[in-house]
Amino acid sequence: MADKKINKRDIAKLPNEWCREFSVLVPSRESGTVAMTRWDGKDIGFLDWYRNTVVPPRDSFLPLIEEMFSFYKDKDGYNIELPPPKEQKQLIFGIRPCDARALAILDMTFNDGYQDPYYLGRRQNTVLVGIGCTKAYDSCFCTSLGNSPTDTTGVDLMLTDIGEDFLVEAITDAGKELLTTSSLSKATEADQARAKVSEETARQKVTRNIDIRDIAQKLRASFEDQDFWQKVAAKCISCGICTLLCPTCYCFDINDEMSKAQGVRCRSLDSCSFPIYTRMPMENPRTEKWRRVRNKVCHKYEFYPMLFDAIACTGCGRCIRLCPVNWDIIQIIESVPTGA
Amino acid sequence: MEQREDWEPKIVGFLCKWCSYAGADLAGTSRRKYPANIGIIKVPCSGRVDPLFILKALRLGFDGVLVSGCHPGECHYLTGNYRARRKFAITKKFLEYLGVDPRRLQGSWVSASEGDKFAHVVTEMTKQLKEIGANRLFADDK
Amino acid sequence: MINSARQQRLIDEAKALLKQGKVRWIIGFEAGSLKFTTTPLITADAGDTSRLVINSFIVNNLSNFLPELEGRIGIVAKGCDSRSIVSLIQDSKVRREDVVILAVPCSGLIDLAKVEQLIGKDRDEIDAISRKDDKVIVTLAGAKREFSISEALYDNCLACELPTPQEYDILLGEPILPSNEPAAGQKKLDELKKMSPEARWQFWKKELERCIRCYACRNACPACYCQRCFVEETEPQWLLPIPHWQDNLMFQITMDIHVAGRCTDCGECQRACPVNIPLRSLTKEMYDIVADLFHFKAGMDKEALPLMTHYEQEEAEDLIG
Repeated sequence: MADKKINKRDIAKLPNEWCREFSVLVPSRESGTVAMTRWDGKDIGFLDWYRNTVVPPRDSFLPLIEEMFSFYKDKDGYNIELPPPKEQKQLIFGIRPCDARALAILDMTFNDGYQDPYYLGRRQNTVLVGIGCTKAYDSCFCTSLGNSPTDTTGVDLMLTDIGEDFLVEAITDAGKELLTTSSLSKATEADQARAKVSEETARQKVTRNIDIRDIAQKLRASFEDQDFWQKVAAKCISCGICTLLCPTCYCFDINDEMSKAQGVRCRSLDSCSFPIYTRMPMENPRTEKWRRVRNKVCHKYEFYPMLFDAIACTGCGRCIRLCPVNWDIIQIIESVPTGA
Repeated sequence: MEQREDWEPKIVGFLCKWCSYAGADLAGTSRRKYPANIGIIKVPCSGRVDPLFILKALRLGFDGVLVSGCHPGECHYLTGNYRARRKFAITKKFLEYLGVDPRRLQGSWVSASEGDKFAHVVTEMTKQLKEIGANRLFADDK
Repeated sequence: MINSARQQRLIDEAKALLKQGKVRWIIGFEAGSLKFTTTPLITADAGDTSRLVINSFIVNNLSNFLPELEGRIGIVAKGCDSRSIVSLIQDSKVRREDVVILAVPCSGLIDLAKVEQLIGKDRDEIDAISRKDDKVIVTLAGAKREFSISEALYDNCLACELPTPQEYDILLGEPILPSNEPAAGQKKLDELKKMSPEARWQFWKKELERCIRCYACRNACPACYCQRCFVEETEPQWLLPIPHWQDNLMFQITMDIHVAGRCTDCGECQRACPVNIPLRSLTKEMYDIVADLFHFKAGMDKEALPLMTHYEQEEAEDLIG
C-alpha cells in the first residue's frame, strides 16, 4: 500500500496547496450556521469542533438558488443567455462519509435518463476529500445503512484520524493527483493498524440502530395503513427542514425572476412537506400531512430502492437533529407494521 | 454609490378615495404646484393599505411611501382610518428598528378640502427624500 | 422531587380526562429521542399518558396543534403557551369549552445552544443538565459546572411575564412569579439598537442570507394560522419562492407584522430555525412596539379585543403628519 500520512499540525498545508488549483471549501461557522465555506487560508479550527455541517455539502452541487439562464426581450423576440460554462474546479475538504455517499445516491437521479448539466457539471468539476468521523451525534445512524464513519464511498481522498496524524488514502485517480504535495510522509504498517482501530472506535460511537431488512416491502404493505401514518405524522408541523437539509433530497421548483422584458430563470429547492408542493388547479392529492409524511418516508425507503436499488438515506441524522418537534425517522422505520 | 445630481426620488402614495385622493384632485384643479415625484394609487380607504403594499413598494425600489386618509373621526366607513393607523404605526416603528429611515414611510390625514395640505405634504416629503437619497435597501451590491 | 410529583399528577389527570371521556385528545410532552429533548405527545389513548413528562426542556408551544384536531382537547401549557391559547380563543380559532388547560407553572427552559456555547462542547458530550433554583448545573465528564439562569435560559424565558398560566382548568404545582431578569432577556435587542440604522439593516441582511425558506418559524408559530400564507399567493405574487435575502427579509417583516398582537414571545420561531437566525430579536421588538403604542399584550387579558380589530380615538398620532 502506498498510503501517506500528515501530522495534524501541518494540515493547513493541504488546502493551502490545493487552493492554487481549486476553489477549496471547508467546514466553517462563519455564515452563522455550519456550512462548507471558502477556505480562508488559515482557520483549521474546525478539526476540533466539527462533527458535520448543518447545510449538507449537496449545496455545492444542487444549490439553494441555481440561475439556469437569463433572458431578455428585444424587437426580434426573446433571447436566452446561458451561464458561463465552467467555473473554477472545486475541492471540498472535510466532507463526511455519509454526505459523500449521499452524492453517489444523488448521481443516480441526475445521471439517469436525463443528464442534468448543472449538477453533473459541478460533480465532474469537484474533488471530494473526506475526513472520517471520530465522534458521532446522538442522531447518527449510518452504520445501520451499510455505511460507516470512515466509509470511502464517493470520496476521492480519505483522511483517517490516527492520533497525531491523519492517514491519507487515495481512493480514485483524482485523489492520487492530490498526493503530489510534499507535506506528506509515508504511512507505516503501524499507521494502517491504527486506522483500523480508529475505524472500529468510531463505529462504536454510533449508538442508534435500525433494522432495515425488508423495509421496502413493509412500507409497500402498509401504504394504505392510514391509522399508522396519521399517528406518526401527528406532531409534524410541515416545515421543510428535514427535506431542504437532507443530503439526498433533490426536489426543486423553477421560477422566473423577472422585471419588464428581462429576467433570470431560477431553480430552487422545494419540499414535499409543503402542502402546495402537489397543488394542482383542481385538486391536491396530499392535502393531509400524513400523506406528505408517508411520501417522504416512502420516497427514501421504498421508491428509491425500487428505482435505483439503493436506500436514499445515509443515516446522517440531520432530519432528526434539526427537527423542531423531534420527529424521528428511526422510530418511524422501526414501527412500520409488518403488514401481515 | 454615487448619486446623480439630477436624481429625483420616487414616491408611491396610497390615498383614500374619499378624502386624500379628492384632496390631491383639488390641489390639481386649483393649480396648486407640487412635485411630480409622487405616483398615486387610489384605495377605497386608508384601512385597505396592507403593510405588504408598503414593503412591496420599498422592495421594488421606490424611495418613499405615503399613506394618506381621512382625518380621525371623518372616515367614510367610520373606523377604517383608525385601523389603518394601528397597522401603519407598527409598520413604521418596526421598519425603523430594522434600519429603514423613518422618513421613507410617512402618513398624513388630508381631507377632500385640503388641497394645499396635500401639496405641502408631497413637497416636504420630496425634500426629505432628496436629503436621504435613493432607496438602496434591497439592492444587491451593498 | 417536586417535579416528579407534579409529573405524576399530570399523568393521573390526563389519564382520567381520557378515560372519563372528558377529552378526546391529550397534547403534552414525552421524552425525546435525543439527549435533553422532549417531543410533543398527541394521543387519544389513555395508556400513552404514562409517558408524559415535565422538565426544563419542554420547549414546544403545543397550542400550535389545537386548530388541527377535532374534539375536546386536554393540553399541557406553560405560561407562554396559555397566552397563545387565550389568543387563539380571542381569534375564534379555538373555543374555550373545547380545551382543558393543564397548566404548568414554568420557571424557564434551558437553552441548549447557550449551554453548548458556555462549555464549548456539543450537547452530545454532556452527561447531565439540571436546574436548581437560580442555577443551571451542567455535568461534563463527571465534573459539575454551575451557571446562572441569565446565562443558560432562553432569552424569552428570562423576559417571561407570565410563568404561571392565568387561564387554566387544572393547575399542576405551585404558582411561580416572574423572574427578575428581563434585562438579560433584552440584551440582544439593546445591542442592535445601539448600532447605526445602516449597520442594523446590514445585520439583518447578513442573517437572512442563510435563510433556506423552510418556513419552520411560521409553522412552529401558533399565531401563524392562515390557511393560505401570503408567500404562497401567486396573484399577486408578493414574493418569489426563491430564497434571495431580500424576499427572505420581506417574509420575516411581514410575518412579524401579521402576528403583532398575537405573538406571546414564546420564542418558538427562533428555536425552530435550523440555521440560527435570531428571529426573536425581531418578534420581541414587535411585541414591545405593540405594548408601547397600544398597551396591548397578547393573551394576557382574555376579555381584550384582538389588537387589529380594535382602536382608541387617541393613539399613535405623533407618527402621522
